[in-house]
This record gives sequence, structure tokens and C-alpha cells, in this order.
Amino acid sequence: MTSLEDLRKINARCIHCRACQYAYSGEPDREGETEEYTGMLQGCPAGIYFGWEGYFNSGKQWMARAFLNGELPASKEFLEVAEACTTCGMCETQCPNYIDTVSVTEALRAAIIDAGVEPLDKHKGFGDRVGNEEMRNPYAEPRSERTKWFDGIVDNKDAKVAYFVGCTASYRQQQIAEHTASILKKLGVDFTVLSDEVCCGSPLLRTGLRKTFNTVMEENLELFKDFDLVLFSCAGCYKTFTNDYTEQSGKELSFKTRHAVEYVYDLIGEGKVKIEKPYNEKVTWHDPCHSIRHIGIAIEKRILKEYNNWLLDSRKAEKAKEAHYEIPRVVLDAIPGLELHEMYRIKGDSFCCGAGGGVKAQFSDMALSTAKERMKEAASTGADVIMTSCPFCVTNFTDAIKSLKEEEKETGKDLSHLGSKMKVVELLELLDDLI
Amino acid sequence: MTQMYNKVTDEVVAKLAAICGDQYVTTSEPLRHSYMAKGIMGLEAVLPECIVRPANAEEVSKILVLANEYLIPVTPAAGGLSGGFALPAIEPGGIYMDMTRMNKLTVDTENRVMVVEPGVKSGDAWRIFKTKYPEWAPPIPDGAPPAATVLGDAIERGFSLVTGVYGPQADMIMGLEVVLPTGETFRTGSWALDDAKAFYRWGVGPNPDGLFLGSQGSMGIITKCAIKIVPHPHYKTVVAYGGETWDDIVRPAWEISKHELGIAERTVMVQGGNYELVMTRWPKENVPIDYEFYKKIGIDKKWMNYECWAWSKEELDETLKGIDKIYKDYEVREKRTLPQQSLHPKQIASRLKKPNKIAIPYSLWQAGFLFITWYTPWLESSAMMEEYCAAMENYGFPPTMWVASIDHARQAIVMPILCFDSTEPGIFDKIREFNLETTRSFLKKGWVNYRPDPFVHAPETFSKTKEYYKMLVKFRKVLDPNLILHPGRLAIPWESVTDLPNPLNE
Ligand SMILES: Cc1cc2nc3c(=O)[nH]c(=O)nc-3n(C[C@H](O)[C@H](O)[C@H](O)COP(=O)(O)OP(=O)(O)OC[C@H]3O[C@@H](n4cnc5c(N)ncnc54)[C@H](O)[C@@H]3O)c2cc1C
Repeated sequence: MTSLEDLRKINARCIHCRACQYAYSGEPDREGETEEYTGMLQGCPAGIYFGWEGYFNSGKQWMARAFLNGELPASKEFLEVAEACTTCGMCETQCPNYIDTVSVTEALRAAIIDAGVEPLDKHKGFGDRVGNEEMRNPYAEPRSERTKWFDGIVDNKDAKVAYFVGCTASYRQQQIAEHTASILKKLGVDFTVLSDEVCCGSPLLRTGLRKTFNTVMEENLELFKDFDLVLFSCAGCYKTFTNDYTEQSGKELSFKTRHAVEYVYDLIGEGKVKIEKPYNEKVTWHDPCHSIRHIGIAIEKRILKEYNNWLLDSRKAEKAKEAHYEIPRVVLDAIPGLELHEMYRIKGDSFCCGAGGGVKAQFSDMALSTAKERMKEAASTGADVIMTSCPFCVTNFTDAIKSLKEEEKETGKDLSHLGSKMKVVELLELLDDLI
Repeated sequence: MTQMYNKVTDEVVAKLAAICGDQYVTTSEPLRHSYMAKGIMGLEAVLPECIVRPANAEEVSKILVLANEYLIPVTPAAGGLSGGFALPAIEPGGIYMDMTRMNKLTVDTENRVMVVEPGVKSGDAWRIFKTKYPEWAPPIPDGAPPAATVLGDAIERGFSLVTGVYGPQADMIMGLEVVLPTGETFRTGSWALDDAKAFYRWGVGPNPDGLFLGSQGSMGIITKCAIKIVPHPHYKTVVAYGGETWDDIVRPAWEISKHELGIAERTVMVQGGNYELVMTRWPKENVPIDYEFYKKIGIDKKWMNYECWAWSKEELDETLKGIDKIYKDYEVREKRTLPQQSLHPKQIASRLKKPNKIAIPYSLWQAGFLFITWYTPWLESSAMMEEYCAAMENYGFPPTMWVASIDHARQAIVMPILCFDSTEPGIFDKIREFNLETTRSFLKKGWVNYRPDPFVHAPETFSKTKEYYKMLVKFRKVLDPNLILHPGRLAIPWESVTDLPNPLNE
């Protein structure tokens, strides 16, 4: 497990320059369509919402340093500030000192809890439920019903490909699981889902509940170890397996991982999938932080680790990251009739939906306010549909639209410029319809 | 030293909350730590006891009156990008005034000034100009990241994107609005006259604004400034010439700049350094440290960059030709080889980018860096850099050195970048020793530290400028009778930062 102490030297690289507060912090002359969306823009959801320096990554790095140096004790107050962050990683994109900002924040949360501070109530709740062997999910659902939605062969030992469904698609948004399974069937993938699958642990790792995270990580690693490939529909589970399991277990995965959208992308690239059916809509794409930015940054850092001369080679690593950011765009481009209108803050600089890092459960006002800011940006593109591929982004945007609609009802105002009339679409649902 | 200041009490916090509103005052321990910084310009900083975020000059005034009454120190901070310099220097930490909520900006292109509050950051100013006033540029620090403020840089007398021709950022000021610990508020320049525009810096009488610019927030709190904006022609490029010695880059730059008009005027920025300036932007373990590598990729041991702005292609070409001719003549006359570097368009674009992140990665070499900034007459900068680099190597630091011309090479800003490992035990003491040794030597030569740290540069300098220090303290006592503003800065009160004999007693 990477502890805060392990990250001391990385944290010490922070000079407190605050560049991490901006999206496109290195692109002052970036052209935008409007005055509002041009050049560099504030990009930290927590900092924007709370205003105090401690809510920005720049302030968190210095709180972490004070904690490491024994100058700042663990406390509930401290944990509350540290937890009010979606861990979206916008700050990590900006940092030219390659500080693993999200790892530091997550390790700080864990260190505060390890020092004896009770986890925040909502986080404790899902920690307890995932820790419960009868559940192993944060929704308090019986474990026995995890694969109830699936009509294929569960636990098929002969399959080489597994679909890791995740808690949200298993229990709350089963339509995502069904669409993903349906896509895989249409693509002729011989896959299975496993009844012993447990929560990937993402909400626990994000919020500092490492002991239970470790338990579920070990269970999942053991369960999936003999597969060649594990596919995901949840951006969070995908990131957790791909990045965190490797880092936290200290071992390489014994199987490959791919998000279902990436899998479709691979097949499009190989010429094995061609989408004929049109989707005649104006769409804007929201990059889920977990499957786009976090995976991209991890690709870059992994490559960098292997290089001796960063001055010459860092660009190659950056290019690999940028290539990852193109994946959903290639898929969208392959859909006839789909008119893509990009938002201003995209790819590594994408503005978070506001749901991640345990924020949706614990700081719901901040989550909603962040989602609304993103919806406003989406609406500014003139698109009718905001598309993404992450159950949490889908939920949070849906909540934002609902809230805008309520406001419209109460005030009689038309809030379509803020996104009230937009439709949220999960890309996997659409792909199932088109393939 | 006897304790001069009081601690922030619950009563004071309640009064602050009554001034700014509950949500803009905090004593939260984690939040107070979140403002800390030990690096960039200053390594020494102590924890504030309370943070306030005023919305306007009226609130600033009320906070100061309160702090003055209770003898509580106040430290103002704008972007906080001078690092330790924007934090309390001595105990008790008192009130930290985070000015970022005050972020209004208005532009008057007719009179070529803008009025900014302390919270207007470079990144935002640049965006607003880009979209609304593309023919003008805001004077922002040349190499600072986007969260640095326009006003903070002026207070620091910093190095703006046009300092090469216009002088330090403080020279761009046309008027200040200042609030004193007594609660009095006044304006300087023509601005002092009600309804007058900030069109004439020297305004209605002797102008005191030099007392506030460079005071590190120790003379009064500036709640607004009027500052020049500059024309922003869009024919721009950067050319660079190399050399073996510091004189190889310093002397030709002087030849180019001293004419002031013509090509010198269009060369808005002249800055250079050594190959270590490139090397130490990368982790020590992941970059070649042998010069041969840098030679191979076309980096000279030392080089000078010239950033040129012009209204047309012809004008730009003429400027570049002029620079080149001066170099060619110089090479023949002085029998030196000073090759022009071939810069990739991406390198040029990166050097033209403002604001930028170019100087942040010096922390990547190990884990932490410190800029130490000195002014010398331009032609003396070579000697200073020579001595500085030798001292850096002596102390085990890579000799990373940056130099730039101020006002047509009248002065040089010489800035070693000390790259160090902030987790190494005893490192701050080592840096202080290094600072002390170099400061003593440089002061003897008549060179001036222009962003003095409170424990070394300020007391060492004022020990040698006793009459000036006495006068400074007199002014300070008029403006801030109880010395509550940023105590320790500029070695006021003297005993709070040094054991050296107090010039006031001599
Ligand atoms: C990577 C990097 C590169 C940099 N490059 C440059 C550069 O190219 N040129 C340059 O000049 N600087 C540079 N700097 C230094 C610094 O960023 C600038 O000087 C900056 O503009 C300071 O502004 P700020 O808003 O951050 O000021 P702060 O750090 O907040 O304040 C500066 C000083 O003024 C005082 N102060 C702040 N607000 C007020 C107020 N309202 N009234 C009175 N006093 C006040 C503070 O107490 C402090 O002493 C760089 C810094 C970094 C980190």
C-alpha cells in the first residue's frame, strides 16, 4: 500500500505555485468559442465551491506536508477538508512537477483515519457495507443478488474474458450492465460474469478506508486471476483495477483490462466493427475523470518511469497520454449522423461532473453545484445531448438537470442556456442500440 | 525580544466575522496550514492564527483598525506566489489577509491604464485582454504561473513581460489606493483628486508610492492600483545567441539595448542563463548532467534570448537583422564566437507564452527551489554570476543561473535558482549560510538584493545603510505607528529578526 510517508518526497516537490487551480494552466492563448470559455479557467471543483486555499490541491499539498512533519494533527475538521475533493485529477494534469496529487490526497485521507479519526458518516456507511461479507457493496444489497440482472451463464469457467460489472450497474443502473452484456454478445465475445465479484473498492480507496479496500482488492485479484481480459462498464472500477490495484498491491495484474468503450474502439480500429445505423443528434462528450484523465496520466507516468532522459523523452510519454484521450472521440466519430460539439474543457483539462471521490454521498451540495457548472458548459456548445460513459457522471448530470427543471418550475424562467433541456446519454447504451 | 504583539483571541475573531461575514473568517488549523509555503522567494514563514478574506477596501480598513487596536500583526497576500514572502515572518502569526476576493478589473484603453484590485490574477487578466482588448497586453509577471497577481508583482517590483524596456513592474504604476492601520485611505498620483483619472503618476504632489512598492506589505495595504497597459503587436518571435562566458552574453546585449530606440525598443525582453537552467528543470536522476549532451542538442554553455515585438513582418525582420548585425560586429571586434541558436518553432512558442509554467519544474531536480533576486549595473552582472555560480557549487547546489535586462540593460536582475531537497535535514540552515556568505560579499561590491529576506538580506543591507534605515523606520511609524503590518519584513522591528547591532541605536 502506498502510504503518505511513501509520497513525502513527491509532496515535497510542491512549491505552492497554484498553477493546479487552472484548467489549461499552460495554455493562455487557447482559443475558445466564447469570452467565458477562452484561455485558462479555474478548474478545481472543491476550490471553486469552497473558496479557501485548503480546498484546492495546492493547499492540500501543504496540509499534507504539515501533517507529515508533525505540525498538523489529525482531526475531524482536517478530514472534512481533505475529503471535500472529487479526486478528479484536474490538478494532476496541470502540475509540471509531476506530483501525484490524487495519490497524496487519498493517502492523506487514509493517514488521518489511521491516526484514529472516525471516517465521515456517509463514507463510514459504505465502508461498513462493503466490509460486510453478506453485501460487499455500498448499497446494502444482498450479495446473492449481484448477478440477478444477467441472463447468460454466470461463472462460466471456460470463458477467457470476464465482465466486471461493478456495484452500481449490478444494483442501481442495471440497464448499463444489460447494454454492456448485449454489446459483448453482439460482438461475439465469449465472456462471463462472476457471482463472487465484490465491490472494486474504489469508494473506499478514495475516502481513506484502506483496510477494507485491501480485502476486496485481494478477493477480486484472486477471483479474476485466470482470465486473459477483464472488461468494465464503470469508469471507476476500471481505473481502480488498472491503476490502483497495481499500485496498492505492488504487483502487475495477471490479466489485461479494458473499458467496454475502449474495447469497441479496438474493434473499430481493427475494422471488425462498423456502425451503420445513424444517430442524428448534436452531442457533446463529457470525459469521465476515471477512465480518461486518470488512465491517461497513468500511461504517461508509467512510460516516464522507464526513461532515463526525460528532457528528450517526456514528449513521447505525453503523446501516449494524448492518444488515450482520443479513444471516445474515435468511437463517436464512427457513429453516422452524430454531430460532436466539444466543450471547452476537455480531455486532461476536462471539468469534473462533481460526483467522484466520495463527494456525491458526503457533500451533495458541492456535487450538484459542480454538475451544474459542467451542464452550463455543455449547454454553451449548442448540443442537445450530453454523452459520457460513467454511471456516476450520468447520475450527477441527471440530478443537475432535474434541479434546473425544478428551478424553472419555481421561477418560470427558461434555463435552457444552463442545460435544463439537455438529455444525458450513456455511450454504452447508445452503442448497444447502434451495433 | 520583548513580545510586542498580541495573539488573536475569540473576541477578535468574532469582530472580524462581524466585518467580513462568518464565512470569510477562519481559525481552522488545517486551513491555516493550507496557506503555508516555504520556497519560491522565501523559506521562512510562520503559521498565521487566523485567515480573513475581505471583499472591499472598507472591510480592509475595518480589519486594520481592529488589528491596530488589539496590536495584532497583519500579513496581506494576493496570489501568494512569492512563497514565504507572503506569509508572516515572526511569531505570533496574527491575521493573514487573503485578498483574492477583491478581483475587479477595469480597462481604459484611451488613457492606456487599467485599474486592478489585489486579487486580479495573471491568467484571468490575460484571458480578459485576449477576448476584449487584443491590441493591448496587461503587465503580468513574465515567467510566473497564472495565479500570480498583477498588483502583487508591482508590489514586488517584479519582472514583467515588458520589463526589458519599461523597467520593473513597479515603474508601470500610475496610482495606488492605500489603506493604513489607522483606517485612513488615500490615493496617490492624479488619482488623489476626486473624479480625476489615474493619468499622471506624480499627481497632486510629492508622490509617496515608492514607499509601498517593494515594502512587502509592511507600509500599508494596497486595495487598488492603476497600472499602465502596453500595446500588444502580434508579430513576435524569440532569437537566441550562445557563448562560453557570461561576458559573451552580457556585453552584446548591452550593445543592443543601450540605443533604447529602434531595435532596442522592439526587443521587449532580454533574458538568458546557462545550460544548467535547462538541465535542472528535470529530475536529477532522469537527465544527463554532462555538458556534452547539451552541446549535442544545440544548447550553448550560456545564452541570451531576445524577445521581439513588432507591428509588421518588415519591422520584425529589421529588428532581427539589427540584432544579428550587432552580434556579427561584436564577434569580429572582440574575436569571440557567439553562434545564433536554431530554435524550434515549439521552443519559440513556449518562450512567447505568458503566463507560463516554465519556472515551476526547478522543484523536479530534487524537491524544492528558491529564487534569490539581485540587481546590479548591467555590465557588472557577469562578475556577480561568476561568483554566484562558484559559491553555489561550493555549497553543493547546481549553478542554475538566470539573468535579465531591466530598462534597456541599465540594470540586470541576476537570479540564481537554488535547487534543493526540502526534505533533507539541515538544508534550510545551509541555504541561510550560503545566503549570508554571498550577501556579505555582494553588498561590499555595491549590489542590491531587491526582494530581501527578513533574516539575512534585510538586516545585512540595512546594517550598511544605517541612515536610510532610520528614515525608513520613521516613515513606517507615520504610516503604521504600532508596526502591525507584516512585522519582521524589512527588518522592522529590528530585533525581531536579527542579533546585529540596531542602526537606530547608533
Ligand atoms: C514559478 C515562478 C515563476 C516566477 N516568475 C516571476 C517573474 O517572471 N517575474 C516576477 O516578477 N516574479 C516572478 N515570480 C514571483 C512572484 O510570482 C511574482 O512576483 C508575483 O507576481 C507576486 O504576486 P502575488 O500576487 O503572488 O503576490 P504575493 O506573493 O501574494 O505578495 C507579494 C508581496 O506583497 C505583499 N502584498 C500582497 N498583497 C498586498 C497588498 N494588497 N497590499 C500590500 N502588500 C501586499 C505580500 O505580503 C508579499 O510580501 C515567480 C514565481 C514563481 C512561483
